[in-house]
Amino acid sequence: MPDSLVTLLQALLLTLGCLFFLVGTLGLFRLPDTLARIHALTKADNLGLGLIVLGLLPSVPGPATAAKILFIWLVALAASATAAHLVARTVRASDSRSDREDGA
Amino acid sequence: MTILIDTVALVLLLLLSVGLLRIWLGPEPADRMLASQLFGTTGVALLLVLAESQGEPALRDVALVLALLAVLATVAFVTRVMQVARADSAGERRDA
Amino acid sequence: MKALDAAIRTAWLFVAWWALAEGEAAAVAFGLGAVPLIALLSWRLFPPGARRPRVLATFAFGGYFLVGSVAAGVDVARRLLSPRLPISPGYMSYKTSLPAGSPRWLLANTLSLLPGTLSVTLRGPEIELHCLDTTAEVHDAVARAEEHIARMFPL
Repeated sequence: MPDSLVTLLQALLLTLGCLFFLVGTLGLFRLPDTLARIHALTKADNLGLGLIVLGLLPSVPGPATAAKILFIWLVALAASATAAHLVARTVRASDSRSDREDGA
Repeated sequence: MTILIDTVALVLLLLLSVGLLRIWLGPEPADRMLASQLFGTTGVALLLVLAESQGEPALRDVALVLALLAVLATVAFVTRVMQVARADSAGERRDA
Repeated sequence: MKALDAAIRTAWLFVAWWALAEGEAAAVAFGLGAVPLIALLSWRLFPPGARRPRVLATFAFGGYFLVGSVAAGVDVARRLLSPRLPISPGYMSYKTSLPAGSPRWLLANTLSLLPGTLSVTLRGPEIELHCLDTTAEVHDAVARAEEHIARMFPL
């Protein structure tokens, strides 16, 4: 592939990545409750990170570094999914507690 | 290309600050905990982009450690909230 | 079979070290000494399970997951950018037939990154999900994810 085409593709991926991060942040403000905000933050931001990693791939120094940033993306995915689940579980637990209090 | 990568870094930094505003507003503790997720993704992306634009490979290690620490922070938060909640409900039972 | 498993694990650990060291010659040489020791330690701490994920099914799952996470991001973006914010959040529960351990754990984490679902609690085979849109056909999507994971871990 000619260099200019790679650069164009990179620019596209990086811009798209930023847009998805923008959507994630927008979600923090537009969505009504914590759980819905977790949805936006987890999904949009992880896609944004993935796109930015892909966009950076052609400019990293070597294949080892490329493998490293892909590895970092995987770690961030697992981290984000785990954190989302843990926070959601906590929100759920405190929700059902206040439900019981309301019922009493 | 350099200008583009620098712009991406700037945009990410801006989004991170706006996200922090939301976290400052709260209102629930769980809302504040989303900060760790925000840093776990936006922060990692920012560091990876900066590693490229500054030619500073060590920043990629920082990104990796940040992603891992984000989970630990969440675990610590969840454990504490659960403990407080359990202590609360134990207190309620005593009151009743 | 056991020797092959050990060789595969050592090779993976070496690739991980090579990536972390960004291919720098001196660091990689250090890894030649350290990786076998780490492999030995990991073998003592995490002996290989009875179920080894199947290679082809794992790749199929990877592809499915990538497509799914792009769809998830686009779905969230579409809802958020629409002025009337078309969401109707709610809980739903799903009973999985996957065995306990890593298959269930993988399903719960995958669902959090697929469109519209977020795993909330995991009690035995019962997964409680939070859905961004309860009117969408969530159940089928969850079943599809479950099927992909079931193919990775044959009984």
